[in-house]
Amino acid sequence: MLHRDQYKNIEDFLSDETFRRWILFKKDEMGWEEWTLENPHRAKMVDEARIWLIAMRVDDAPIEQKQIQQALQNTWQKIDNVAQEARTPIPIWRTKWWKVAAVVMIGMALGMWYKQQSNREVAGVYPTLEKKENEGLIEQINNANKPQLITLSDGSSILLQPKSKLSYPKSFEGNERKVYLSGEGFFEISKNPKKPFYVFANEVITKVIGTSFRIKAYSDELNVEVVVRTGKVSISSSKAEGLLQKEDVLLLPNQAVKFSRKQLAFEKITDLTKSPPFSSSLSSIEQLSFEFTDIPVEQIFKTIEQAYLVEIDYPAAKLKDCYLTTSLSDQPLPEKLKIVCESLGNNTHYEMNGNQILIISNGCN
Amino acid sequence: MLNAKLLTDEILWKSLRKGDEQAFETLFERYYTALVSYGNSFMPQSDRVQDCIQDVFVDIWLYRQSLQEWVVVKAYLLSCLRKRMARTYQRERIFRQTTSLEDIEFTMDFSVEEQLISDEITKAQATQLNRLINQLPPRQKETLYLRFHQGLSIEQIAEMLDIHSQSVSNHLHRAVQQLRKEWKGDFMLLFLLILGNM
Repeated sequence: MLHRDQYKNIEDFLSDETFRRWILFKKDEMGWEEWTLENPHRAKMVDEARIWLIAMRVDDAPIEQKQIQQALQNTWQKIDNVAQEARTPIPIWRTKWWKVAAVVMIGMALGMWYKQQSNREVAGVYPTLEKKENEGLIEQINNANKPQLITLSDGSSILLQPKSKLSYPKSFEGNERKVYLSGEGFFEISKNPKKPFYVFANEVITKVIGTSFRIKAYSDELNVEVVVRTGKVSISSSKAEGLLQKEDVLLLPNQAVKFSRKQLAFEKITDLTKSPPFSSSLSSIEQLSFEFTDIPVEQIFKTIEQAYLVEIDYPAAKLKDCYLTTSLSDQPLPEKLKIVCESLGNNTHYEMNGNQILIISNGCN
Repeated sequence: MLNAKLLTDEILWKSLRKGDEQAFETLFERYYTALVSYGNSFMPQSDRVQDCIQDVFVDIWLYRQSLQEWVVVKAYLLSCLRKRMARTYQRERIFRQTTSLEDIEFTMDFSVEEQLISDEITKAQATQLNRLINQLPPRQKETLYLRFHQGLSIEQIAEMLDIHSQSVSNHLHRAVQQLRKEWKGDFMLLFLLILGNM
């Protein structure tokens, strides 16, 4: 494809997706406005191309989601008819539950009163739970003043906040993944429905199948808060015997739960936009966007470096002209790197050594 | 793959080939509207358009293991739909015993994007150009649609319409130049008329 400085025909502009997006949807990702203003000759061509786009509107009749779903069902029906003998019926798990991911935030705020009343209780369940199964657990304590990246054997990644501790096995055996947290961490869990992931944080157990979430569980805070952004997460208490509410609490997007450690009770909040304390304290990784539209790969690496506090080495010259459109939201770090490498082409892969990431590539295709 | 809606076509296609039903559904949902719109341009308001789209996806799923690894999904889907509709049309022609040898025809008309018009001159220019574009032969109109609306590459369009890629770009360039000439001429005339009436 030509560089836009070399555009001399109207069709060069019309076939440039970023140009169309600028004119039609006012999304100027490539700085078209500035580029146009740089010289009057350009302005003239841009003006004509604009009229072309105005004259070529396509009226796509909007189709309701319901109709699309109906068409999809019909399609599966046809597939089943064709392959009736060979195929089993459509699995039940092809339902909405499956399609979502969750962001959970658990925060704990302990009042002085509580601290005085039940100093013993505060020691919490974490140490006991941990003790039971702590053989072979790796313990990471972050004594630095910035978040620390931890990658687990299953490809999940965690940003552990200062003064926080995470215990986890070297590799996850059996059909469960369990880790223990004291303090605060941002979790991005690799998706594996056959091996649910559990985080034990004080009295609260968070069960996820694959998602990203934040847990804040400093030992001197009163409440446990769980906030779900997208997806489904199930919350229970390890103190179930004393609990009024015995069942697990299921959280859907934009719902939250507050667990009172004193009353051992869950309070469910169904609209978290109305509860500012929940939505406010976002960390930097939660504020960064991982939605990239035609972005230089260099910039994507910068974003990753910033989010995970890692260093990425890559062949800058070879990747100079590589632009990617991809979504890396809600993927653990190894998965993010894998997607970027796959998008760059067959000859690209990465190596990771602690906070150092090396990209090996011959450029993109 | 909990967040399939955000994944790129390439990744979804790869998963689909491995039998990932969610990737299949995500692509279906992503392109259904565009396919209906394209299909309607050959057989306006027909149930057969939907049938053809469904059949395209049925084949994709059933023969997923023999699908090509690297395809531009949107171009591939549009191309499959076009072929299937052409076949349907041919079958019907045999039954109706007509003698026409014409391929299916692109009948969609472009309209004017009123929302982006801020002044009378732009409006007159755009309306005029729109009229000229809509008078193009179906093939040329379809090429404009695929290139400038769906964003397909010259090579993809050539493959779809079964012509050489060099002739696609020639046609495209010539059509655009011709239109520009006519349009500019018309517009001068219009301009003179307005002046004359003042």
